[in-house]
Formats: sequence, structure tokens, C-alpha cells
Amino acid sequence: MNIPNVNIPNVTHYIHAYKVAPWRIQRQWIGSALLAVVALAMVATLYLIVTSRAAIAGREIQDLTFSINASQQVSGDLQTQLASLTSASAMESRALELGFRPMKSDEVEYLVVSGYTEPEPFILSTTQNMQLSALAIPPEYNQSLLDWMDETISSTRGMQ
Amino acid sequence: MRQQYARRTQVLTSVLGFVAFAIIVQMTRIQNSAEAAVFSQQAQNYAYELKTYYPDRGEIYDRNGRLLAGNKTVYEIGVDLTTVRDAHAIAFAVSSELGMDYNQLMDAIQNPPEGISYVVLADFVEAQQALALQELKKALQEGAAEGTMGGLTGLQFKSHPHRSYPENSLASNLIGFVTREGRGYFGVEGKYDTLLAGNAVQVLVPTDPNKAFEIPRVSNGTTLILSINRDLQASAEEILDNALSTYGAQGGTIVVMDPRNGELLAVANSSRMDLNKFWDYSTIYYDQDHQYNPAISTPYEPGSVTKILTMAAALDSSTVTPNTTYLDTGSILIGGVTIQNWNREPWGEQSMVGCLQHSLNVCMVTITAQMGASTFYNYLDAFGFGHLTGVDLDGEVAGRLKVPGDSDWYPVDLGTNSFGQGVTATPLQVMMAVSSVANNGRMVVPHALYAMVRDGRQYNVPAQFAGTPIKEATADTLSEMLAISLEAEASQALVPGYRIAGKTGTAQIPVDGLYDSTQTNTSFIGWGPVDDPRFMIYVWLERPSESIWGAETAAPVFAEMAEKTILLMDIPPDYIRQQLVAK
Repeated sequence: MNIPNVNIPNVTHYIHAYKVAPWRIQRQWIGSALLAVVALAMVATLYLIVTSRAAIAGREIQDLTFSINASQQVSGDLQTQLASLTSASAMESRALELGFRPMKSDEVEYLVVSGYTEPEPFILSTTQNMQLSALAIPPEYNQSLLDWMDETISSTRGMQ
Repeated sequence: MRQQYARRTQVLTSVLGFVAFAIIVQMTRIQNSAEAAVFSQQAQNYAYELKTYYPDRGEIYDRNGRLLAGNKTVYEIGVDLTTVRDAHAIAFAVSSELGMDYNQLMDAIQNPPEGISYVVLADFVEAQQALALQELKKALQEGAAEGTMGGLTGLQFKSHPHRSYPENSLASNLIGFVTREGRGYFGVEGKYDTLLAGNAVQVLVPTDPNKAFEIPRVSNGTTLILSINRDLQASAEEILDNALSTYGAQGGTIVVMDPRNGELLAVANSSRMDLNKFWDYSTIYYDQDHQYNPAISTPYEPGSVTKILTMAAALDSSTVTPNTTYLDTGSILIGGVTIQNWNREPWGEQSMVGCLQHSLNVCMVTITAQMGASTFYNYLDAFGFGHLTGVDLDGEVAGRLKVPGDSDWYPVDLGTNSFGQGVTATPLQVMMAVSSVANNGRMVVPHALYAMVRDGRQYNVPAQFAGTPIKEATADTLSEMLAISLEAEASQALVPGYRIAGKTGTAQIPVDGLYDSTQTNTSFIGWGPVDDPRFMIYVWLERPSESIWGAETAAPVFAEMAEKTILLMDIPPDYIRQQLVAK
């Protein structure tokens, strides 16, 4: 039995035709372009969010700086008021009103207390309180995306 | 169909491409237009704001942390002329609350200088008054019809700090004051004005919130901690005021110092002023006889307290010993002038202790003559006479020490200088000189500053010494001689339970070139406990009317001050301290 000589196209030809179909190439281009647009949009959105947050934080810093100055002024004012209320003359008159009187030297009894040390004069030092300075803020909080990319590229080049 | 679709796509792409291109072209055009440059310039103008930061003036505390000078909030009240609605209402409200002239206020609001949009009506207004005006403004605004402005619209309040002294006149001569221009005068305020005021900084502050970290942090002025003790200062002033009234003195000074390190513990003068009313200065201190701080700026002839230094020089130069005797005939001739004792009587044979005990002028002239002018004046120079002490207070004046070779020095001056006449010194100069006797021969530089605090760090001021004019053995011997002489005399300066060394002084006051025996300056300088001096007190009373003698006026004031000092400084009696040492 002989098989008739029918012209059956090669499968390879179909695959090739599919790959080079114009609509498919167009879709690839469109897909790539859309992907790039989406990526750019995402980066832009991220950048916008970070920038807006940085701006809000910056505004808060400005407000807090003014608040600190105002608070310091109020604190100084209150401290002076307190000092007026506890001035030597005010305390003396209050003590006299309460029935106290100045002590005389022959009324004092001195006792030997082991371990007693004479009180030292006033100490105002506050060095234990660390203060946040601008230089201590990590760059992530004030660096733009472009700055970061530039720094990363520079450092990569430097490493190479 | 497919071709049609392709054509539509091409058209759409072209249109969109054209639109995109047009947008880019327009953006580029706008970015590079002339208007863009103007807008860019405007934006840059608002990007930074030139601001001047005036740091708060540093505070002043006493050694126990009690505030002596601080800052309080006061207000500048002004009018924004662009928003004023009712000038009459503003003028009426401000004049009623602040007691200002209504017409002047109206004139200021209605006839401002050309080009001015803000007028200051009053400055340094107390917070209470400013608050009352603010409340009134708020009430009028709330009461105004909807959509209209209140009657005080345009009235503005700006707060700023202002120097305030909670203790009013306490230690005023030592602290000094600050004027409304922010400049310090006299005392610590004057001496450390630059430190206290800090440095004003003029900077460009970015308005861009992303550059908030560029906002400068301006350090406030340096805070000072003084060596004075507020309670001791208050007691010194009270004791001095009582002494003026008891002895009828025209003025006076009490200074308390730690002779070991020169720390001033109290400086009281009779003329004091409320530092919150600094404008009274010119009415209180109106001439040369009314100095701001006589303890450092009024040299006078100290009289017999100087005998301590004469005796120190004589002992140190081996001219005499404590047991050296001489025959006191009641008078001695020197430089053609006869010098007599205070009672014009002879005292017979006297030792050097008796010489100090009876405060004999003839004795002093005798030993000074033996010592020689050169030795004597070299010692006085080493004791700091004729020089500034270097105390850290504004307005110090050095007394005058005439020496051989000066055109106005005469041989008789050698005699009179030996008992403190014909030579001038301030109370602090005498204290500095005598500190060498109380402090084993080392002379301390008096100072009022204990420590300074800047940026949270405290820097303590170390003691400074101005040389060793006498040997340690001389200082110890003389301290003992002075203590014995006070005890033998049963001086009114003695304090029960404590051994004190010291010396009275009575100096006649020169009037028109002649000494007036009825007008004297009486003084006393003493320190204790003798074996471990913790305090040195100088008392000076000007022209006491009850008695002309230092032993009857300044000495009891010294005792009262010493007793108070002992109480406030918790100094136990000698026998307790000796028990402690024995253990």
C-alpha cells in the first residue's frame, strides 16, 4: 500500500511563523514599554511618598525647634518666678510668720557623724544628657533617591 | 480589517506622540522663558530667611544653686498698620492698661513714619499686663459680628526674655546690672558681660522643610555660679544695716572671704540698689563718695589694721621677734614730725605682742625705722599695696602707695604708713594682703566666680595665688601673736568657742589736707579658727558717731558677723574639731 504524496508543512515552519508573527512582536514591544512605564510610575510614586514624608518630618523639626525655644523661654520665666517666691527675704518673712526665729550659736549642738562629708557647692553640669545633633542623623533620613543612587554607584566604582 | 486596525494604531500613536512632543516642547519653553527666570529668582528669595539669633543671657547662681539673676518673659506691644480696624480702640486699651498717654498713642498709630507698616507702642511690658490686653483682644474678637474683625485687630504681642533679679537688692554691689540694651555694668554682670551675653549669630535659615537640619543651634550665654553664699550675704547686709544705725555710721562695708582660696562668700555695702530698677543708679551713686562697690573701688586710709603687715614685715625680715621689747615713751620723732600713740600716753616697756594688743603707733614707727624704708616698702609692694588685686569684679581701683623717690613722699610717710595713715587701699586689697598671714604665707587672689557652665559642662575656677610675701613660720607666729593680743585685750571681737586672730583699725580722715580727730574710719580684720582658717572678715564703718574707735564699733560687728558665718558654714567649735583630729 502506497501512501499518497501529500504536502504536509513542517512543524518547524509553524513555530517559526508563530515567532515572527507581526502582532506578537508588537505585543512584546507594547508589553516592554508598559513594564517600563509601570516601573517608572512605581519609582516616581515611591520617590513622591519619601519626599512628602521627608517634607512633613522637616516641617515637624522646624515646629519642634520653635517649640523648644518657646519652652526654654517659659522654663526660664518660671525658674525666675520660683526664685522670687523663695528669695531670702521672702523665706525669712515666711519663717517668722510661722513662728521660727534665727538660731543662736549657743543653741547648736554638734555631733560627730562617721562618714559625713561636707556638702559640695552647686553642680549644674548636665553632660550625661546626650544631645541629638544634625551630624548624628543617618543619611537615609535626609538623602534623596538620586543621591543614594549616585553614592551607591560611586562606591561600587570605588570598590572596583 | 487587520490593515485598518494597523492604520488606526499608527494614527493614534502619531497623535499621542505629537501631544507628548508638544508637552515636552512647552515644558522646555516654559523652563527657559524670561518669566521662569523671574519666578526662579522669587523662589530663591523665599528659600532662605536671614535671621539673627540672640542667645538667652546666662543665669547667675550662688554657690548653693540659688538663682541670683535669671531671665523673665516681657512683651513688645506693637501695631500692624496694614490690619488696624479701630485705632481709637487700640489707643484706649493700651493707655488704660499700661498707663500711657492716649494722644501719643493715637499719633503713633495714625502718623507713622513714611513706609512703616509696624509701630512699636511699648516694650518690656510685664507678662501680666500683656496677658490682660491679649484677653481683651480675644474677647472683642469673639464679641464681634460674624465676618467682622474685633476692635483690637492689628495689636500684636512679641515676647522676649529680659534680665530679672529675684533677690532684688541682695548682693547688688557684687552682681551688677544689665540695661535694656542688654549690656552688663559693674560687678559680675560687667566683668563677664561677653560670656554671659553669648554670641549673636546671623544665619540664612532654609524655609525648605527638607533642609530643616540646617537650622542652627545657638548656644545660650554662659551660666555662672558665684562663690557667695546667699544666706550669708543676706546676714551680712542685715548686720551692716543694724551697725550703721547702732553706731551712727555714714556708710560701711563687710566682706567675708575664704582665706584658703580667695572665694568671696559675702560682700555687703551700705548703698544698695534694686537691680530690677537699674535706672535708679544715677540717683544712688551720684558722686565719687558714693561708689557702686566701695569694697573694691573706694581706697581709704585703713589705719591700724595695716599694723599686721608692718609687724609681718618686721618679723619676716628678722628685725624683731615676738619677744623683742622696747621702751614706749608715748612719742617718737620721724622726718621732723612727732608721732604719738592713739591715747597720747607712754606705755613703758612692751613686747611685740603688747605692741599689737595696745595698737601702739610709736612701736610701729620704731620697728619700721629699724627695718629701713627700702625693706618696708618692698614688703608693702609684695603685699599688693598700690596694685589691683585682680578680683573678677568690674570697677576695681587700686589704692596709692607713695614710695621714696615719689615727688610727694616725705620721710614722715615712713612713720605714718607703718600704722596705715598716708597710704590708701581698698578693703579687698587689705584682705588680700592679710590673707598671707592666715594662709601660711601664701597670698590669695580674691574672686567671686566659683564655676561656669556652658553647653552642659561645668568648669570650676581654681584658686589663684599672688605670691608668698612672707615665710610660713612668720605667718604662724604672727597669727598666734594676734590671737593672744585679742584674748589679752578681752576684745569685743572674740567669739566664744572659737579662737580668732585679728586687729582693729581707727584711721583719722583727712579733711582739707589735715586729719580731723573727730572723724574716723573704723575697721576690723579677723579670721578663724586660727589653727584652720575657714573665714576672713573685714568690717569698715565710715564716720561712726557713737564712738570713733574701731575696738568699740567695728570689733563687735565683726563678732556678730563671725558668729553668723560659723552658724551658716557649719563650723564646729574648736574643742569639737580637736576631738575629731585626735580620733
